[in-house]
Amino acid sequence: MPGFLLQRAGQALVTILGVATLIFFVQRLTGDPTYLLVPETATKADIDALRHALGFDRPLFVQYLGFLADLARFDLGQSVVQRVPVIDIIGSRLPYTLMLAGGALTVACGIGIPVGILLALFRDSAAAKLAAGFVLAAQSMPTFWSGILLILLFAVTLGWLPPSSTGGFSHLVMPSIALGLLSMATFARITRAALIEEFTRDYVRTARARGVGPVRLLLRHIARNAAIPLITVAALEISNLLAGAVIVETVFAWPGLGQVTVQAILARDFLVVQGVVMLGALVTVGLNLLSDFLYSIVDPRIALGGGR
Amino acid sequence: MKRTRRMLASALVAACLALPGGAAHAAKERLTIDLVGEPNSLDPHVQWNPDSYYVYRNIFDNLVTRDDKGLIAPQVATSWKQLSDTQIQFQLRDDITFHDGSKLTAEDVVFSVKRITDPKFASPQLGQFDKITDAVANDAKTVTLTTQGAYPALLAQLVKLSIVPKKVVEAVGKDAFNLAPVGSGPYKFGAWQRGVSVTLARNDAYWGTKAPFPTVVFRAIPDAATRVANLQAGTSDLAANLDGDLAAQLKTSQRAMPVPVLTERVAYLAMNVQKEPLNDPRVRRAIAQAIDKQAITDGVLGGTEKPLAQMLSPAHEGFVEGIKDLPFDLAKAKAQIAEVGPKAKQEIALVTAPVYDQRVVQALQQMLVDAGLNVKIEMTDMGSWLKRMQSGPDAIPVLAFSRWSCGCQDADGVLFPILHSASGWANAKDKAIEDALEAGRQTLDPAKRLAAYKTVHERIASEHFVIPLYQAAQMYGTSKNLVWTPTPNESIFVNRMSWKD
Repeated sequence: MPGFLLQRAGQALVTILGVATLIFFVQRLTGDPTYLLVPETATKADIDALRHALGFDRPLFVQYLGFLADLARFDLGQSVVQRVPVIDIIGSRLPYTLMLAGGALTVACGIGIPVGILLALFRDSAAAKLAAGFVLAAQSMPTFWSGILLILLFAVTLGWLPPSSTGGFSHLVMPSIALGLLSMATFARITRAALIEEFTRDYVRTARARGVGPVRLLLRHIARNAAIPLITVAALEISNLLAGAVIVETVFAWPGLGQVTVQAILARDFLVVQGVVMLGALVTVGLNLLSDFLYSIVDPRIALGGGR
Repeated sequence: MKRTRRMLASALVAACLALPGGAAHAAKERLTIDLVGEPNSLDPHVQWNPDSYYVYRNIFDNLVTRDDKGLIAPQVATSWKQLSDTQIQFQLRDDITFHDGSKLTAEDVVFSVKRITDPKFASPQLGQFDKITDAVANDAKTVTLTTQGAYPALLAQLVKLSIVPKKVVEAVGKDAFNLAPVGSGPYKFGAWQRGVSVTLARNDAYWGTKAPFPTVVFRAIPDAATRVANLQAGTSDLAANLDGDLAAQLKTSQRAMPVPVLTERVAYLAMNVQKEPLNDPRVRRAIAQAIDKQAITDGVLGGTEKPLAQMLSPAHEGFVEGIKDLPFDLAKAKAQIAEVGPKAKQEIALVTAPVYDQRVVQALQQMLVDAGLNVKIEMTDMGSWLKRMQSGPDAIPVLAFSRWSCGCQDADGVLFPILHSASGWANAKDKAIEDALEAGRQTLDPAKRLAAYKTVHERIASEHFVIPLYQAAQMYGTSKNLVWTPTPNESIFVNRMSWKD
């Protein structure tokens, strides 16, 4: 078993190193950020001086080794644009990303699952068709547009919610809806499919024969079994929500990681981009490693076989 | 019971949080300004970025400033006299204190000059101040600056030289000063919520015009439509960087209005006149005649921008009245292109970046195609665009749309980099222009400078090394209660504003 874990840890390290190498060199293909930092009137000498001060004139391989050495010490470096440690930038943005992902997931599940149940139980009713239309429309609207529509209705016209930025629960409502509407359709579809599949199972027929009422049947028996694919999808959707919130964050001026990453890419603030990417890689690889570890405890055959 | 009470309390808190920020207009405790992004840094010497500039100009005083009419006016310096062509002496106010209570003296001015001009410090603004070779404090309220040769744009550049407190900067170091800057301006630094806002508090001990609002908040609102929605909803009082279409929405708003101002930003068609087919003067002449500037400013941009016949705006020192360009004449342009023949038909890339108004770029392409040229738009990112544009005559794109601001309102900051071979942007290689540009930067005599720049404008009007297009506008939106005169140098000085209920 320790051999298995060591092997897995070794693979994880290679993956991390691969991501680090890729992000380092791909970013540098585009040039360096010096031109974006100086006024138009800066002379070539001024630009060269700044490039030297920022260390971008060093040979690429030297920069790469420096980056790996810093990474080994868990030092993500300093933003060349904001001149503050990258870890501080990520640390200040991460909670907002988590908040928005949580809000969006609540909206997506809160509407998507009941609609899915409706679609499964009353497949051919007018209400189900209407709900299906609503879900489809919500998913089809691009967020930069639905976001602005929400702002115009709830903030400008009705004045119920603040149009943008952060400050309290009320600020979270509209961005969560805008982002959640996109995932809602997925939840509705999976719920519907899972329920319909469960309806045909023997245990459902048996339960019905025993006289179990429809509500009890749904909640106590079917829902539990149908929840398995739903949980898998939810896990995938969470990673989508964490990564895909750039537009919503921009429209609602929500200070999440997506927004700061796009700004850093445009400004060629390499260390910030590297920091965000490395953080993502570490979290993904770390969770995989953890699940491998858990599998090997739960099912010893995995460890004995040395792989799956 | 306990739970009910707790629930009531949290409902109350939620209700308070839900109140839009600008709801309490009556006393106007707090002014909210929406910018595109957050500042890169609040240390005025370590960046060159508009969103930083808007904020820190309220925290720091400068050696000199520009008044609302755009004229250079005293600020930290009360008066100045030229000791020689290369030396200028400033008398300073003796009643200025920094926000930490210490006095602003000549030592701080000298420190600020030396800090920003130290190559090791590597300020991105170095190029704007590197003509200053020395700074000496003669006494507590007198400073003498020495320049490398006569430097007529010095005062125009010093408008941007923020004075930082020597003792504080030396004590806390560069990184800490960036996080909690100490200045002497009308506002003190309050708080910086990363990615969200910077809050400033009024400096009640300010020596000059005191600010009308106890608190001012600069927020980062990246989407222009959201900035407009904030104005309409009354949750902000001023928004920067809107476009003509969004500003038009504000015309019908109950709460807000568009506030456009013509800036010192000059929009132009950059060309590489060393490359085919633009090395043929007839093709350049055809381009000059093919572009309908009025149609761009009125039709595409909404009428606020003003067409220009020279590479400077009336806001610049060096603008010459009466310069004439070739009028729009599509028939003549077509005829010229036809005369040049197949050479003029080769594909030309019009290089642009997303930051520029693509409607203008597309209009330019259409106008040039109408004249018979074969122009394709080539989109690149801003970093690559800047690099290519400054890479010298061998590599500069054949055509590019660009907008230029030196932030100094002086001809030397516009014409020299664009047209003199010493600069990476230039490719004209025209002796008459280069002589005139050197003459213009080596004399302090305004009449001689104007004569030199007149030569440059006339050469451009006859040879078309570059096509001036229009004086760009900055479109702000403000609350109808805010009284404010925006200036061509795109500064937001809150202490020059007022509020009417």
